[in-house]
Amino acid sequence: MMRFLLISFLVFVTSSCALKTTKGLQTTEISEATVVNPYFSDTAVDYVYKAKIAVYGNNFGGIVIIKKVGVNKHRVVFTTEFGSKIFDFLFEGDQFTKNFILEDLDKKILVNTLRKDFKLLLTETMPVQEQFVSDDYKVYKSVAENRYNFYFFTNPQGQLQKIVNTSKSKEKVVVLVTPLVSETLSEAKMIADKIAINHQNIKLSITMDYFKKN
Amino acid sequence: MRKYLFILVLVCSSVLFGQEVTMNASEIIAFKKQVQTTASATKTITSDFVQYKHLDFLDNDIETSGKLVFKSPDLVKWEYTNPYQYTVVFKEDQLLINDGGTKSNVDIGSSKLFKKLSELIVNSVKGTLFDTADFDVSYLKTNGENKVIFTPKDKKMAGYIASFELLFTKEDATVTEVKMVEPSEDFTRIVFTNRIVNSNVNDAVFTN
Repeated sequence: MMRFLLISFLVFVTSSCALKTTKGLQTTEISEATVVNPYFSDTAVDYVYKAKIAVYGNNFGGIVIIKKVGVNKHRVVFTTEFGSKIFDFLFEGDQFTKNFILEDLDKKILVNTLRKDFKLLLTETMPVQEQFVSDDYKVYKSVAENRYNFYFFTNPQGQLQKIVNTSKSKEKVVVLVTPLVSETLSEAKMIADKIAINHQNIKLSITMDYFKKN
Repeated sequence: MRKYLFILVLVCSSVLFGQEVTMNASEIIAFKKQVQTTASATKTITSDFVQYKHLDFLDNDIETSGKLVFKSPDLVKWEYTNPYQYTVVFKEDQLLINDGGTKSNVDIGSSKLFKKLSELIVNSVKGTLFDTADFDVSYLKTNGENKVIFTPKDKKMAGYIASFELLFTKEDATVTEVKMVEPSEDFTRIVFTNRIVNSNVNDAVFTN
């Protein structure tokens, strides 16, 4: 009996340690020194999205506006549908500035979560630490703030479709991206049409839809 | 020298903004009366609108558009149809929201700020917010229109809204434009078109 418990305990520990992100992927030689996130990289584009936030059963809507305003510098503004600002953040490399946030929402844990989520979404280049491959994807792993980011590019088209932020053993945040369907492949690679930021350890998800004229 | 410079600046600015003049006391009284007459004769309004969100760091204003329905005394349905579907119904102390199929009701009775904002929206649609003690009000006339600027007295509210402006037609004192200016000088401008007054509007419209 004791031995059975021990074995099941060991099985539990080892299986929970295995990160599911890399399941089914094969390690391969590093071919790129840096991984590049192409979305939000054009200073000439106003990236405007209808956003929905679901947090512990509550739903909020609004508009997310992202603008690259300089090298490694992004402004992120969230407003209500009526246009009044909910928050206004500036990301510059590792620097973060809170220009504005509604007083009622100015909670450290919330601001931190939003900061990390948008940093994950906006960071343009990361040094590659490991590289993986499968039939469908090329995957690049990088280190970020005591965690890891995995970038999934379709194989062979090279569209960035998924970013997974993990600890050593667990997925924390999964970002799913549907690129814009476009005549030109370059635009399809550059513009994220639909974005879903799904937290795995808390009940928080943010979905974003790119503004297209009817 | 400084005096002349001052006069020059004054002259220049009155040339630049020459069309905008403060109303005198009797003009204000006449204007208020006109607004009140129009408002009390207005039982329903349906109108199209275009909303322009201006942020200083963007190349273009963000444009959204839709329809507005008002029924006296205080039912408002604000519906965005382009580029997304979103409706909000102002009904008593509730906001009934339908965000592209996701429905939610928000109780605004508990939030003073939200209640004020909601009142502003309902009243600006009606054109009646002159009896408010919460704002400093200034009355201006331009070539074709009258303009009223509301500046919040409450400090907390002033942190969100620097001023709130309404444009009225000279002929019949209906609201053609609403502008909400933030302390950062970014603003939201809403322009109304195809306004139809006193058509038959069913109460069932005001649900989500």
